[in-house]
Amino acid sequence: MPAAVRDSTISPPSGERRSDMEFDMTKPVPEVQPWSEKFWEGTKEGKLLIQVCKDCKSKIFYPRKYCPECWSGNLDWIEGSGRAKIYSFSTAYSMVEPKFMDELPYTIAYVDLEEGIRMMTRIVDCEPADIAIGMDVEVIFHERGGFYLPYFRPVRQ
Amino acid sequence: MSKGKIAIVGIGEVPTANMPTRTHWDIIYDTCMEAVKDAGLHKNDIEGVVSVSPQAQPKITAELSFGKLPEELGLKGCKDTVSCNAGGASTSNCLRMAEQWIHSGIAKAVLVQHVTVHSTIPLADQINFFAKAGVDLQWEYPYGTTYNIIMGLMANRFMHESGCTPEQMASVVTALRSWASRDPNSFFYKKDVPSVEKVLSSDLLNTPLHKRESNVLGDGGCAMVVVSAEDAQKMKRPAAYKLGDSVRYFSGTCVMRDFKKVEEGFRVTAREAMAQAGITKEDVSIWNCYLAYPLAHPLVAELLEVAPPGKAGQYFLEGRMSFGGDIPWSTIGDAPGRGHTGSGVSAAHYVETARQLMGKAGERQVKNCRYVYQNAGGGSGFNNIATIWGKEI
Ligand SMILES: [Zn+2]
Repeated sequence: MPAAVRDSTISPPSGERRSDMEFDMTKPVPEVQPWSEKFWEGTKEGKLLIQVCKDCKSKIFYPRKYCPECWSGNLDWIEGSGRAKIYSFSTAYSMVEPKFMDELPYTIAYVDLEEGIRMMTRIVDCEPADIAIGMDVEVIFHERGGFYLPYFRPVRQ
Repeated sequence: MSKGKIAIVGIGEVPTANMPTRTHWDIIYDTCMEAVKDAGLHKNDIEGVVSVSPQAQPKITAELSFGKLPEELGLKGCKDTVSCNAGGASTSNCLRMAEQWIHSGIAKAVLVQHVTVHSTIPLADQINFFAKAGVDLQWEYPYGTTYNIIMGLMANRFMHESGCTPEQMASVVTALRSWASRDPNSFFYKKDVPSVEKVLSSDLLNTPLHKRESNVLGDGGCAMVVVSAEDAQKMKRPAAYKLGDSVRYFSGTCVMRDFKKVEEGFRVTAREAMAQAGITKEDVSIWNCYLAYPLAHPLVAELLEVAPPGKAGQYFLEGRMSFGGDIPWSTIGDAPGRGHTGSGVSAAHYVETARQLMGKAGERQVKNCRYVYQNAGGGSGFNNIATIWGKEI
């Protein structure tokens, strides 16, 4: 099993009005397509898989049914290194859906993987003030509802 | 489309405000009738109706797409009606549809309209709709991504590359609101224009976006009457002639959006639209930029070569894009100044473009307004449509 953190039990913020209870507080999991199942299976084993086209050698993100470069169905997977650089980030302090409020503040980022693809993710295990564009980060998997979301944390020197 | 094929000859608009007593049909009647009267036409001259599809309002969307508008308003000469949905680029596509009908001879006069009533949507439904719209449900949404955060990702990268400061970014709000405070149809008409300090002292929503750099949902609507350029000339009325357009698609999923491709898209579409119109950027009287969030304005000002690289933030801070400045820019104050009426912000922009070219913009009227650059973007930014409109052919 991978190193993983789990969502804590979710309860509505104190003082919440009854009328607000109509909000769906279920935290979302990825809406998987048949051709992306392998990616999410990989994360359960602590692997960050990258779809590749065996015909034109493209690395594909996000995973598709057919290669978006050459429309080949001859697709496969390689295991990524899990290392990346932050392209941009934004730390949220408010105005997110009620279901995410217990996690504030949190940082969403675009990260560029060594393999040449860009993902959206969370940056964890550090203070928001220490996060910077260009920072080296590594993958860590975060469990939610049976899924393991790839999050990233600063690379420890 | 080639130069000078259509013209806007009539406009109608209601003020943006949260007014739950004003129903969708209430607004549709007022805006459409005003536009037809403004064009000097009879209701039965309208041969086609194209509606911007309202976001997050399924009932009115269904009524419009099932053809109710011509019947409700008694448009006896109407031959066809349709709704268009391309997010924020819907209005551009409504105008393209009108252009096609006029070209093909289906309709001589086409009514294009938009209506939005956000104030009667239950808060939970509003949040649920806007939380997911334009956000990929597999690769973005599970992380807690929002529209505001997507804007923050873009803005932080822009600030990193350009050196644009938080003060300069905040000054965009001051500039936009300076126009809005003089627009009777704005949410912020006659309201104080916030200073840079006031913008920066408002709550931080997500870096670098402050509360006053976001925008407020509102109710509103507008309508336009479109005819052929030839007919507009014969009508001898103030008109806005479409002189050029160009579009580029970027991506549907924000994480896939190549910032360099977006930047090149803005440059290329402006160049192509101006070339079609036979003008250069020096000829443009108003840069009517629809970008929904203020943080994107300095970036686009540089892409359109209105400001040199790295200088747009300074231009905004110096007040050059504000009311009274030397570079008229988004003269309704874009979404932060108008109030966010969904896809209606782009519709309001087109109405403003026509209003300025017709010489009907009151206190905001830009002197000697001859050519206007007007853009629109789809959804959370899947494309950019650049158009050039002129006072005459
Ligand atoms: Zn391929």
